[in-house]
Amino acid sequence: MDKERKANLDRALNPKVIAVVGDKKITDYMWLKSVKDAKAKVYSVQIDENDIPGIEEMGIDNRKSISDIPEQVDYAIIAVPRPVLPFILADCIKNNVGAAAAFTSGFAETGEAEGIELQEKIITMTSEANFNLVGPNCMCMYHAKVGIRNTADQWIGEGGNIGFMSNSGTHATNFVIRARSNGLYPAKSISMGNSISIDQGDWLEYLGEDPDIEVIGMYIEGTRDGRKFFETLREVAQKKPVVIWKGGQTKEGARAAASHTGHLASDMALWDAMIRQTGAIRVDTQDELMDTMKALLMMKPFTGENMGIIAQTGGQSVLVSDAFGSEELKVPALTEKTHERLRPIVTVVGGSYKNPLDVSGSLTSVERATEMLNGLHDDPNTDIIVMESSIGFIQRRLEKQGQGLDTLIEGLKAFQESSTKPFGVIATWNQNEGELADFRKKVSDAGIAVFPTFQAGAGAIRKVRDYYQKKESLGTK
Amino acid sequence: MSSFADISSTARAENRVILTEQESKTVLKAINIPITEPILATNSKEAANISSDIGFPVALKIASQDITHKSDVGGVRLGIDSQEEIAEVFDQMINTVKKEAKGSSIDGITVQPMAPPGGVEVIIGVTRDHQFGPVIMFGLGGIAVEILQDVSFRIAPLTPIDAEEMIKEIKGYKMLTGYRSFKPANMDKLKDLLLKVSDLAMKESEISEMDLNPVFAYENDVVAADARIILTES
Repeated sequence: MDKERKANLDRALNPKVIAVVGDKKITDYMWLKSVKDAKAKVYSVQIDENDIPGIEEMGIDNRKSISDIPEQVDYAIIAVPRPVLPFILADCIKNNVGAAAAFTSGFAETGEAEGIELQEKIITMTSEANFNLVGPNCMCMYHAKVGIRNTADQWIGEGGNIGFMSNSGTHATNFVIRARSNGLYPAKSISMGNSISIDQGDWLEYLGEDPDIEVIGMYIEGTRDGRKFFETLREVAQKKPVVIWKGGQTKEGARAAASHTGHLASDMALWDAMIRQTGAIRVDTQDELMDTMKALLMMKPFTGENMGIIAQTGGQSVLVSDAFGSEELKVPALTEKTHERLRPIVTVVGGSYKNPLDVSGSLTSVERATEMLNGLHDDPNTDIIVMESSIGFIQRRLEKQGQGLDTLIEGLKAFQESSTKPFGVIATWNQNEGELADFRKKVSDAGIAVFPTFQAGAGAIRKVRDYYQKKESLGTK
Repeated sequence: MSSFADISSTARAENRVILTEQESKTVLKAINIPITEPILATNSKEAANISSDIGFPVALKIASQDITHKSDVGGVRLGIDSQEEIAEVFDQMINTVKKEAKGSSIDGITVQPMAPPGGVEVIIGVTRDHQFGPVIMFGLGGIAVEILQDVSFRIAPLTPIDAEEMIKEIKGYKMLTGYRSFKPANMDKLKDLLLKVSDLAMKESEISEMDLNPVFAYENDVVAADARIILTES
């Protein structure tokens, strides 16, 4: 992406003037609503008399064409029938719009001659004009701090640090929505659609250079230019973590991807090879994506393999150890000094003060929990501290001290702040799943990585550990 | 020595995209990849003389631009120990190949030294992906690659770290660290071989596929005992 295009894309992502072209009553003016809270002047372009009154009722200035807008448009959202798209794009090019994002679909992804021809025409138009088109066949762009969105359901505000790029509008949209309930703050989420003008390599480069963004995530079905993507990934993954969620891994999935966004898939073995050699991180589900982001953003960086674990009961202590063992992490013996320190506080007969701690009801207060955590933390044999918290079990004991889960979360937060080692919580199984979800949300909001299952926690910690190890090896050799 | 450009233009002039073993090995030798060098003999007397020069045991392989899978048509004999055996094998091979691969033009038979015993058999391959371009493959030879598909891939160009990781990534890696009668393979030489293959694949965009199979990995060296390069169509 050259300087001119980058500057234009910057302008579109930080717009002073937005034009929404072709928004309709029948879709409840979804695109105007998606930008109505943006820190920008919003115009509508619509010529259908049925749709105009509703637009004017929203207090939005409607015009007959982009050329009729009295100010320079930075960002255009286009939702018109496909044969009209080239005409609107010509208008955008003529009026020096920074970038246009096209919700309009029905191009090469249809596999039919009409759509393919139209797509070729658009590729020629945009490349000749060096114009930025997002999509087509996309859910446009999200930028939290300026208030442009993929849908009006998304959170907006300051402080985002994650950049997401997606071949799917659903995944671009839902990533933001779900991330916020996991204590994660997306800054930008780009629905790339068919990515015919700004391709995957361009977006990766753009997010790689974006100073707001600390971690990049992507849902990707294929690339327009695999070579460029590989070379860009090699550079960007050295600067910040890149988490790759690849759709279309099987023959069946690849066929679906071809009709979804018209991307041809390469063998998954090659994607896997590329991810390994560039030091990116592979995830296979949205759950893994969330958990990996939490481990990247909320846990202190780590390259070690030795877990120090608190489990509430014996059965959990076995499962949590198995989960970490399966990910080739270790649950080592603690020093005799630590045993002496923990023996008086893990008092219940049948419990264990050895790693993994089976506290079996000895965790009677937040102060006691902190002492146990500090015991594990101060032991030279541990690198990473994890607490399994079966909340029903803990709650019954804390209540006797007049303490609750909120006090516990405060204690965990204080521990994390004082800790020099990375810390995470695994919150699994409860009679009341709603309470459990509430607990996880509060732990996330406190800035602590919380994982929903043993496997999820172990998997995310291992992926992130491997990432830091690889980064170290690439940096030193 | 002929350059890759000379060899490929000769092949294209003859309407071929598959380079012969001799041609492929010439390309590899030019970038200092150790090979067992095939020397062409047009009759058994020549073959016997070459064998005496290079020393027994030797391998005899049919030399034909039309035959790519030499062993499938009886065109490979390994471990030949004497002048007498050469005389016998030479004519036999010509006759068998004429029967099994009717109509193929036969240039003669190449004689090459046998790779010494005690090496671990590995293979190195290059393919060109429609999205990612040249891709390097590494695996253990024989059954490990054919049945178990125990191979690793990297997109070219390889870095030294890539080369090391792709060797260590295969399940059979332990075979290369010393096993029963096998001495540990020389990792530096093996990595260097992968890097040279990667450089060649990056430099010569006309190479569509390349196989070094088998490569023998020894304690002090590596050697490619067979090789095949396929050029891109057109």
